Amino acid sequence: MSATISNRSFRPYTGEKARISRAYDYLILVLALFLFIGAFHLHFALTVGDWDFWVDWKDRQYWPLVTPLMGITFPAAVQYVMWNKFRLPMGATLCVAALLIGTWVTRIFAYHYWNFFPINMVLPATMLPGALVLDFILMLSNSLTVTAIFGGAAFALLFYPSNWPIFGMFHVPVEQGNGQVTVADLFGFQYIRTGMPEYLRIIERGTLRTYGQYATPLSAFCSALLCTLMYTLWWYIGKWFSTTRYLNKI
Amino acid sequence: MKMILAKTLMSFCLVFSVYLMDVRTAMAHGEKALEPFIRMRTIQWYDVHWSKQAFNVNEEISVSGKFHVAEDWPIGVPKPEASFLNISTPGPVLIRTERYLNGKPWTNSVALEPGGDYDFKVVLKGRLPGRYHIHPFFNLKDAGQVMGPGVWLDIAGDPSDFTNPAKIINGEVIDMESYGFTNGVWWHAFWGILATAWLLWWVRRPLFIPRYRMLEAGMEDELITPQDKLIAKSAMVAVPVMVLAFNAMANNNLPNTIPLQASLDQILPLPAKVNAGIVNVDTLKAEYRVAERAMRFDLKIDNQSNAPLHIGEFSTANAYFLNKELPVAHQDLSDSSSVSEEGMSLDNNDAIKPGEQRTLTMVVKDGLWESEKLDGLIRDADSRIGGLLFLYDLTGKRYISSITAAVIPKFN
Ligand SMILES: [Cu+2]
Repeated sequence: MSATISNRSFRPYTGEKARISRAYDYLILVLALFLFIGAFHLHFALTVGDWDFWVDWKDRQYWPLVTPLMGITFPAAVQYVMWNKFRLPMGATLCVAALLIGTWVTRIFAYHYWNFFPINMVLPATMLPGALVLDFILMLSNSLTVTAIFGGAAFALLFYPSNWPIFGMFHVPVEQGNGQVTVADLFGFQYIRTGMPEYLRIIERGTLRTYGQYATPLSAFCSALLCTLMYTLWWYIGKWFSTTRYLNKI
Repeated sequence: MKMILAKTLMSFCLVFSVYLMDVRTAMAHGEKALEPFIRMRTIQWYDVHWSKQAFNVNEEISVSGKFHVAEDWPIGVPKPEASFLNISTPGPVLIRTERYLNGKPWTNSVALEPGGDYDFKVVLKGRLPGRYHIHPFFNLKDAGQVMGPGVWLDIAGDPSDFTNPAKIINGEVIDMESYGFTNGVWWHAFWGILATAWLLWWVRRPLFIPRYRMLEAGMEDELITPQDKLIAKSAMVAVPVMVLAFNAMANNNLPNTIPLQASLDQILPLPAKVNAGIVNVDTLKAEYRVAERAMRFDLKIDNQSNAPLHIGEFSTANAYFLNKELPVAHQDLSDSSSVSEEGMSLDNNDAIKPGEQRTLTMVVKDGLWESEKLDGLIRDADSRIGGLLFLYDLTGKRYISSITAAVIPKFN
């Protein structure tokens, strides 16, 4: 990038120019918000999918592994643009907030009003605390490496504890059919889903569980490691897609 | 700008189509979509009965019935190692409160045994008024949905009459329709407000063009003030501390949580009801006459019971073909829609005497072969037919055989 305007000759916008520039800010913000609501939400629905939709998929193993890993993608790319082009440390928070808006809208309209599921059965998870920390770290470090390692890890590690206050109460046992199930499992049994038999749930399976009761921390650390790589990958995807050639003409 | 707009619109369309796909799988139960050999040779349903077909919101009804798992399970279909008896509904217009297999409570999935006999009962409770077309059906892992017979249910009343209390293990009664909702909204609001505050902190300043120009001018240090840094530093500590503190609080409030339950239920088949060894039926040959829509079986029947027997009906994939010459009543088919009252005829209708072995020809002829899309069998990779043959003695006692044979098509 060549600095076409020298430091000394720099004049901030004033008057009409400032007003137009401000209007442009709002236009971009609104469009970005809708774009992220649409695109990130679609990406999330197709990758995390059922783990995020249903309360009886939110297990100790796959949910805290898959959700941050797929959730850090768009924030990383948007952080690149927002930070490297505008020094705005809000890319991750903006993305995750947009995702949550989209998620809440579809849970209420598509799942509740259209398909009759109680909303508490399809409550979304939050990744906002992780996204905030990701933005703070990028702003304070101004470094891809530091943000990928510490931000990526924080994003993954904060996921389960920030959601436990929401979903913990669905893990209280209930007696059903001479056995114990969680309230979450009871939702899955009672509220009929034609295309979702119980065995289809990918939960609590495989070798991650072999270390006794420590399924969640193991999953979270595994996710933290992968998030570091995923963050870097999507940072470069953000770089690839971003261009300021339109701005240069202004 | 046009590009962004077009992209935005496109993403909306994509998102919307994902929901359409979701809804389509919920609505269309595809009862005739599966290949005929799977519908005829996996779960063989009979005696399916609904306790009521018109009822009110919050009223409980049940559907019960029996099924035989075919011995001749198709090689192309994975064995039923995880199976789930489901109800095809357009969303939870009913809830499933209890389910039993062979009289045992049944919550998760179960492994079925080919050749096994089972009876089931599902208790349902009306939730949303309306008229719904509903089947019991099996989700078979990696194989698909095998439908049981369908009926129309009428649910009357007011949706607000619906209640769904559940008793958690410490004795507290919760309302499933609202449990955890306010709490969830509260936490989302809490983090949402913090995130909004952070976003507004930046959005209140001139954003894109001015900041880009400053950055290009090498004045990027002025874009982040010491105050910004102070806030970010303290929040970077405060957010994780809050997360861990709230997590610890939640843990303290919930001392007895358990992981999601993911075990398979263990329920063994009943003592043999079908192919129980008293009456043995061997299918020597099966022929399908396409033009006449008639399946012709050569059967060898060995009656080891101590009563004379008549063949009463043949059923496959929820289609029933009855022998009108049968002197006693057949199974209650009042709920069934695919019944051919006179579809079956025999070359010899005399009773098969105790100890007698007889070879006879049974012709099962009806448009149902076509309308139920069962005739596609002859063009399938697996063109073996399967079904249940019901024999009765004069007191109405019933013997059931699961018969199976390769089908030879006759085109004229
Ligand atoms: Cu149907």
